[in-house]
Amino acid sequence: MGLMAASKAFFKLLFNKELSESFQQLVDGRLQPKLESKPAKPVRKSEPKPKRSDAISLLSALQREARFLDIVSESLGDYSDAQVGAAARDVLRDSGKVIERMFSLRPLTEVEDGASIETPSNFDPAEYRLTGNVSGDGPFSGNVAHHGWKATKCDVPQWSGNKKTEMIVAPIEVEIA
Amino acid sequence: MASKYVIGIDLGTTNSVMAYSELGESLDIKLLKIPQLVAENTIEAHDSLPSFSYLGTTAETENGTLNLPWAEERDFATGTLARSRGADFPERTVGAAKSWLCHNKVDRRAAILPWNAPSEVSKISPVTAAQQYLEHLVSAWESEFPTTPIREQQVVLTVPASFDPVARELTREAALAAGIPSDFVLLEEPQSAIYAWLAQQGDQWRKKLKVGQSVLICDIGGGTTDLTLISVDEEDGELVLRRVAVGDHLLVGGDNMDLATAHSVSQKFAEKGTKLNPWQSVSLWHSCRAAKEALLSVDGPATHSVSVLGRGSKLIGGTITVEVDKSEIASALLDGFFPACGIDDRPQRQPASGFQEIGLPYESDPGITRHIAAFVNAHCSHDSGEVKLPNHVLFNGGVFKATEFQERLLQVMSDWNPNDHSCQRLDGTHDLDFSVARGACNYGWSKATGGIRIRGGVAKSYYVGIETAGLAIPGAPRPLKALCVVPFGMEEGTQADVPSSEIGLVVGQPVSFRFFESNTRKEDAPGFVLDHWTEEELDETDPLQATLTLENSEETFVPVKFDSRITELGIFELWCVGVNSQGQWKLEFNVREE
Repeated sequence: MGLMAASKAFFKLLFNKELSESFQQLVDGRLQPKLESKPAKPVRKSEPKPKRSDAISLLSALQREARFLDIVSESLGDYSDAQVGAAARDVLRDSGKVIERMFSLRPLTEVEDGASIETPSNFDPAEYRLTGNVSGDGPFSGNVAHHGWKATKCDVPQWSGNKKTEMIVAPIEVEIA
Repeated sequence: MASKYVIGIDLGTTNSVMAYSELGESLDIKLLKIPQLVAENTIEAHDSLPSFSYLGTTAETENGTLNLPWAEERDFATGTLARSRGADFPERTVGAAKSWLCHNKVDRRAAILPWNAPSEVSKISPVTAAQQYLEHLVSAWESEFPTTPIREQQVVLTVPASFDPVARELTREAALAAGIPSDFVLLEEPQSAIYAWLAQQGDQWRKKLKVGQSVLICDIGGGTTDLTLISVDEEDGELVLRRVAVGDHLLVGGDNMDLATAHSVSQKFAEKGTKLNPWQSVSLWHSCRAAKEALLSVDGPATHSVSVLGRGSKLIGGTITVEVDKSEIASALLDGFFPACGIDDRPQRQPASGFQEIGLPYESDPGITRHIAAFVNAHCSHDSGEVKLPNHVLFNGGVFKATEFQERLLQVMSDWNPNDHSCQRLDGTHDLDFSVARGACNYGWSKATGGIRIRGGVAKSYYVGIETAGLAIPGAPRPLKALCVVPFGMEEGTQADVPSSEIGLVVGQPVSFRFFESNTRKEDAPGFVLDHWTEEELDETDPLQATLTLENSEETFVPVKFDSRITELGIFELWCVGVNSQGQWKLEFNVREE
């Protein structure tokens, strides 16, 4: 029981920044433990869940819903443009749905391509990338070459499998006759 | 304890949705994101929960593949994973449980689903399936709002307007078992669609609906079609909405249309020598839905290509494409499901073929316009031989994303009375996917805060069958009469004494009454007796029964009269009340197979 609680605490501290900071303070003696009488919660039997990289979960969703990995892994040289186009139409449509659902991508600016735009004077280079004749600190004005993208959310599926299978992106499919 | 939220639940035939709002000054409806399995071990939150159950294998349960954040050792899954498993393992997947709930040829508390499943699958009952979907929604709520449990909130649950009292009772049973508070309210789905429109219009609705007008709500879900007529009246200078009629329960919906499209497109693949496996058939189904929506939008393209991707990892080489013309889809779907027809046309009842599996009683006539013709003819007024068309049509259900369906329906209806140009699409946004849950939420909020309510009461009249006394003729059943126990329009929270001659019931043995309902007999008062009727007039549903007990009495016979009630929450109850004694006994629906 004690080992279980300790290992639960370990994973909590590992993944929760706020909690691990107060734990550090507690160990350093800077923080007095708050005593609260909470109703005893039923102890969950399960082991702490392993965490898998969101990148693998995203790949897995793109393959499952859109066959994305199949199309990018295939050698395009073997096929005509029409064949590639026919397959790509469905894959692109379904990939787009997955990405929209998980990230809700929106242009970073409402200004259309080719129209003029003015940057703030102290802009973040992560937000604007200037090309051409740049001198001084700005503000700058120029034409939009690309409207940029931003994700308005990041809702990648949670995964609850075990350590052994965390790198599996798509299972083997077997048809039983 | 005062509720903090009002929650609207749309328990759909193919998708379930949950909307909520704080019970505050203003209505602010949001959809609850529902975490669910989308693949093994993979959980994602979506706006809707597909109403499917997948009954897992032992290996899946032991590996925890179907576990949810709130449930360990799960041996079944509900939602997206269950729906996609339907293609690979139909014998382990339960769908359309809601249609089974109102199918009175089977015992709906018995473990009968998946229908025709092999013996190693432990089946579940239609009521249990509905309970599983609702439990999933309740758990999603509790994990999002742990400090405001659902049992302390106001809950509104929607049912099809055409659901009979038994199906409503079974829905209630499933809801209570799932942990929904017992004071939840049942609301009819098409009314809910109107409440969603009202929420979105705000005060503007008074400018868009005029006294004397009517609104037809055409709600085509995945598996069912539901019709309702609302009239706009005036009371004390205020506009009042009144629900005047509901249609029959029609088992035809959007899934039938997608299957019909997929069937006709798969012929084209067959011509190319391609035989589709189950996985490809499902992917074809999805592609056909996309093709339907693109081709049948007004000003849509003339052709659309439909591809089936190669099954193996060689995707591009295995992909086959066919071109689908708008005219082909239009003739298959518009003429198949929305055929041009006259106001006097009626749904065609095809004689059943020799062998008929029980299964679900799908409509023999998928022509929705013919069902609407029968409905409009029965419930809209006729002036000088011409029918007065509804002034507005409110569309609901994902089917109508193919906007040509809306146009076709309005066109067919306008042709019923060329002099009447008033039949128009109800002005405003028709939220085709989520309006039922949103509207339920608005209804709960209006109920708590005193906003606009649709009047209506019961949409049908109800009857019990009474065998007439007299000499029995050997071999012939005694003549049956139908005694009206609930009049059309009886309001929630009221009761009716049913005047009748005394009925003698045997003590200590189960007594049973046949039970009927009518969509069309709107004038019958409680106590009215019908000697004969046509099949169109009265529909028989499940019988009612009770076992009468009398303490401290030698009597073997009790004379009783009936007393019917519609509870505040919309549930029908029928009681036998002793004429000479104090006893009263509630009759319960018997949903067992005969």
